[in-house]
Amino acid sequence: MPTPGAACYPTGPVDEPRYPDAVAPERREFFASDGVRLRVDEWGDPAAPPLVMLHGAFDHGRGFDLLAPHLAERYRVLSLTSRGHGDSEWVDVYAWPSDVSDAINLLRSLGRPAHLLGHSRGGGQAMDAASWAPECVRQVVNIDGFGPPPEGFAPPGSKPDPRPIPARFGDYLDRRRNAARRAWRPYPSLDDLVERRRAQNPRLSREWLRYFLYHGAREVEGGWVWKTDPEFAGGFGPWRPEWIAPGWRRLRAPLLAMTGSEPDTWRLADAVVAERLSNVARVERSEIAGAGHFVHMERPRETAARILEFLER
Amino acid sequence: MTALQHGRVSIELHELRAGTGPALLCLHALGGSGGDFARAAALWPGRVCAIDFAGHGRSARLRGGGYHPEMLAGDADAALAHMGAAHLVGVGLGAYVALLLAGGRPELVPGALLLPGAGLEGGGVAPDSTNDTRAFWNDLAPPLPGCDPAVRRLERDLRPPDYAAAFALAARRLLLAEDDAPRPPWWQAALESPSATRAPADLALALEMLAN
Repeated sequence: MPTPGAACYPTGPVDEPRYPDAVAPERREFFASDGVRLRVDEWGDPAAPPLVMLHGAFDHGRGFDLLAPHLAERYRVLSLTSRGHGDSEWVDVYAWPSDVSDAINLLRSLGRPAHLLGHSRGGGQAMDAASWAPECVRQVVNIDGFGPPPEGFAPPGSKPDPRPIPARFGDYLDRRRNAARRAWRPYPSLDDLVERRRAQNPRLSREWLRYFLYHGAREVEGGWVWKTDPEFAGGFGPWRPEWIAPGWRRLRAPLLAMTGSEPDTWRLADAVVAERLSNVARVERSEIAGAGHFVHMERPRETAARILEFLER
Repeated sequence: MTALQHGRVSIELHELRAGTGPALLCLHALGGSGGDFARAAALWPGRVCAIDFAGHGRSARLRGGGYHPEMLAGDADAALAHMGAAHLVGVGLGAYVALLLAGGRPELVPGALLLPGAGLEGGGVAPDSTNDTRAFWNDLAPPLPGCDPAVRRLERDLRPPDYAAAFALAARRLLLAEDDAPRPPWWQAALESPSATRAPADLALALEMLAN
């Protein structure tokens, strides 16, 4: 008797990929933050000093599978998957302060101050969480999360929209009218999804992306779709890049500001990074040779060594 | 009452008055509800509807919060999708939302009347780097009666004057009700738009001005 639905999966079931040096979490839990179920992945001795990690937009907590094992030799490493991403729950509306609140809720649940690390969007949120809840944070590591360029934020390859703000707000309202019906179009196979992401991040190998995206996508009828909520990036508001740095004047915890040495998508000009970091009271700058934006995925060993040196000083 | 769908949440529409002629959609203040407009409904010559914004009245609470004015404008836009073109009257927070909607949907909003009330100010024009942001984290208590505690985040959203001015410029007609009380910078910026006119603080007179 044929297996029901078998015809929908011409490539057959996909085994969990392996990747050299990637270590799956030792513990996988859910954490409730303001009623939202969020995935927390953990490595290391539960009694060791805690280190919380926040991933970037459209990524998920398993993106730290290469970095975390190095840090777990000294720390209890907790990787939070943000709402609407990976295995964390989808919500009705996405807003930056909600993610920062989630991070602070997790930090408060630990019962002792923690180190806080974030990549890209998660790096910016780590800065804000440490500013808003200074009693929870010992030191901050920000991996290339210094905000969009001064001229604003546009997806790679897209042209800036020259229309006035209200016209673009009309588009937002149109999107909201259809929001309940929006869904990702499935890619025929996991490998197709990998190719799509690779076009955006050519510095990341197919082998790594296959490992990483297996945990960030799910198989549905007709192929593979992202786990990230299609509504995640659809927000609208008056926010502007020049609002970033003044908020960093509140940061009291020492900061390790990391970037890769190579030009890449989302990589700001050094002068912009330096100007923004001039608002931070205690900051150390670190550049990892041979890495682009995904510093911790491209050079995990070197990144970990630099972080450990900073944290243990 | 009718339940409208906005994204994944259900928004309550109050049909306050049936009628032909120009329609009016009422947008309440922070902590209010669509039930606050009985007097406006009695004064308006046509159909009058009101909504409960998400997190207020009988509308759904957003799972995990995330309230912001642009999203509430989407609540009101769901009412326009249901009603067709309508004038707007907004109070406090609802006045700011009415400005956004009048600028974003000029083809559906012939005019909007902005009135003072709770939630008019927002959190200022830009981040205040001298302020202790821990207040942001702690200020949700006490909750507004009958509301999701998280709607108090709407006391902190930033409303830059140039942003408000752009929406005012795109709007077809704005009436801003003035009295002796001070108004926030976003209001002052909207008032400078060619589309904007000062309106009397008296509701009957202001609605009459909007209808004509």
